[in-house]
Amino acid sequence: MRKLLLTSASLGVLAMASTGTALACDPDYSGVELTATTQTGPYIASALQLAAKGWEEKTCGKVKVVEFPWSELYPKIVTSLTSGEDAFDVIAFAPAWAPDFTDFLSEMPADMQKGADWEDIAPVYREQLMVWNGKILSQTMDGDAHTYSYRIDLFENADNQKAFKDKYGYDLAPPKTWKQYLDIAEYFNQPTNNLWGTAEAFRRGGQQFWFLFSHVAGYTSHPDNPGGMFFDPDTMDAQVNNPGWVRGLEEYIRASKLAPPNALNFSFGEVNAAFAGGQVAESIGWGDTGVIGADPKQSKVAGSVGSAPLPGSDEIWNYKTKKWDKFDHVVQTSFMAFGGWQAAVPVSSTKQEAAWNYIQYLSSPAVSGQAAITGGTGVNPYRISHTTNLDLWSKIFSEREAKEYLGAQKEAVTAKNIALDMRLPGYFSYTEVLEIELSKALAGEVTPQQALDSVADQWNKLTDEFGRDKQLAAYRASMGLPQK
Amino acid sequence: MTTRNDPIKHFFIWPALIIVLVISIFPLVYSLTTSFMSMRLVPPMPARFVGFGNYADLLQNPRFWHVAGTTTLIAFISVGLQYVIGLSVALALNSRVPGEGIFRVSFLLPMLVAPVAVALIARQVLNPTMGPLNELMSALGFPNLPFLTQTSWALGSIIAVEVWQWTPFVILMLLAGLQTLPDDVYEAAALENATPWQQFRDITFPMLLPISVAVVFIRLIESYKIIDTVFVMTGGGPGISTETLTLFAYQEGFKKFNLGYTSALSFLFLIVITVIGLVYLAILKPYLEKHK
Repeated sequence: MRKLLLTSASLGVLAMASTGTALACDPDYSGVELTATTQTGPYIASALQLAAKGWEEKTCGKVKVVEFPWSELYPKIVTSLTSGEDAFDVIAFAPAWAPDFTDFLSEMPADMQKGADWEDIAPVYREQLMVWNGKILSQTMDGDAHTYSYRIDLFENADNQKAFKDKYGYDLAPPKTWKQYLDIAEYFNQPTNNLWGTAEAFRRGGQQFWFLFSHVAGYTSHPDNPGGMFFDPDTMDAQVNNPGWVRGLEEYIRASKLAPPNALNFSFGEVNAAFAGGQVAESIGWGDTGVIGADPKQSKVAGSVGSAPLPGSDEIWNYKTKKWDKFDHVVQTSFMAFGGWQAAVPVSSTKQEAAWNYIQYLSSPAVSGQAAITGGTGVNPYRISHTTNLDLWSKIFSEREAKEYLGAQKEAVTAKNIALDMRLPGYFSYTEVLEIELSKALAGEVTPQQALDSVADQWNKLTDEFGRDKQLAAYRASMGLPQK
Repeated sequence: MTTRNDPIKHFFIWPALIIVLVISIFPLVYSLTTSFMSMRLVPPMPARFVGFGNYADLLQNPRFWHVAGTTTLIAFISVGLQYVIGLSVALALNSRVPGEGIFRVSFLLPMLVAPVAVALIARQVLNPTMGPLNELMSALGFPNLPFLTQTSWALGSIIAVEVWQWTPFVILMLLAGLQTLPDDVYEAAALENATPWQQFRDITFPMLLPISVAVVFIRLIESYKIIDTVFVMTGGGPGISTETLTLFAYQEGFKKFNLGYTSALSFLFLIVITVIGLVYLAILKPYLEKHK
């Protein structure tokens, strides 16, 4: 009898234990170890690690995050993909590299492409940046679009408002056009008060070209001609020296003159430091500016950080008719600078199901929302819920700051006219040419037109060297255009 | 004596020799082979033999000549200044001037700091709005200077940082050389009423020449390899006006992954250094022979 009781009790305990395991591991990936790779942390790598902890508790699987320095990441991934080696189950990479990776990536499982969590991803990511030739091959894990930041205290100062209106004839407010942006920068450029107009990145190798692209997008991203900002999507001829680009570059150079001294040596880090240090009245850049500016530990302007979408223009260059098209309203153009880190699963992975499940967890509203408000993860909003959950952001912003910040972020990814960043095979070859000529133009060694003519000439040569048809196909795919 | 001809020595020597040869020669041979190929990782393109195509492209590329000129300018001016300052300080230390004890301890510090850290410090010191140098200039009523954003100032700043960091090395080597010079030569010169300047010109400098040649040669080669300071301080800008040979190679190799071109660039770099070294030694050979 005693033996029977003991046996029954043991069976009961075992049954409970197995039920407990089933509850703990959902789905059960016990014994599965995923290898995920990205750049050396904290940016992005820490987001992968944070999600790995939660995923391991939920599924009983394991995730090993392998980090490589930025310069090493591309060759490591590309060599493992092209050799078909089962080295990585999850790769987190820069969107500009997508053209070289897409042949080797598995398609996202169909069940991940539906439901509320799917619809919650901002359309520009879900319908464009995650898609390659009609297939969803990656999951955005970070949102990257440029927005505008300004000092509420300076803008709402009665003396400033009056003086600005007297000088420029309209109210001082977040700018609607790039011309207004420069007017504001000019007005606040008061070196004797240790205050300058604006801050942007102008340093070669310091993200400078994305800031130029933001200016240029306003003048070249024509709502009727999608995908024509960088190249003619029919011929692959460079568009980089058309009048829209020249105007964008002229204004970018003008902005450099209204920035703190030595701004030509500013990377995005210095832009944030200048804004948070109270040196400038406005700036453009990624969402980090607002988060750093609102943090009293890092900022002198906490509590006064206003945000808005990028300015736009009522005149846009039409590369097809080769004329300026005049609009009866300002077209606000959002620029997806960099485009946000992507996570994907190589076809060579033997654990694709678990790998996609990890990506689903990593990019779920709750986990990604927490990453977005955690400093150092490098994750910026890319879901609609990231921009609507005021409670989430109230930890770092005042109510007004949060409303403006989230409003700007939301508009940036849901704008009617969105310009996508350049994603092409040989991306660095193209951008290096641009950086060199840009620096010469900023230093006044050549005119904007001369600089851009030289870039266009070199871009066309690169396109021919890499194969015009191949580049055209990749460019059309990157811009969400059907193949010819 | 019999053990010298023992064949067992081959058993110990040859494996080690072969391993060393393989480790040191293989990368060079592989790199040399790559330099004759068109090999790109981005976008991935099949490798193909192009002979001297990469070398010809480089030699026709104005950017190569520009960066070679910039590197030569930085190397020669900075090493020249390092030698002049280094020799002056070493002579002072050797003469036991007041305070030399403290200086001996502290002067080594700059060369112990990693060049990246030195460049970061320099970038902060030269910052136009928050940097102490421009703050001082402003306080004295002078305008802010474009230390890192205008070509001539940027080159000057890089040279100044190089001099600051590496002069201690020159001091150290020359001081060691000075301390090995025999006292009796100076005693004889003193008996002949030779002035300090005559003693320096006819005794110290000539006797120090072998070590001077070696120090300058080492510093010249090291200066040609400069990358970290430039990368952090200016990124090679404005434009490519402060870009050096190694930074150019980095951009081609690690940003554009143009491996064939980068290998050719590395070998051209090796040739440039070798030619400079040979010319330098050929020019100084008569003097070294004379003062042997």
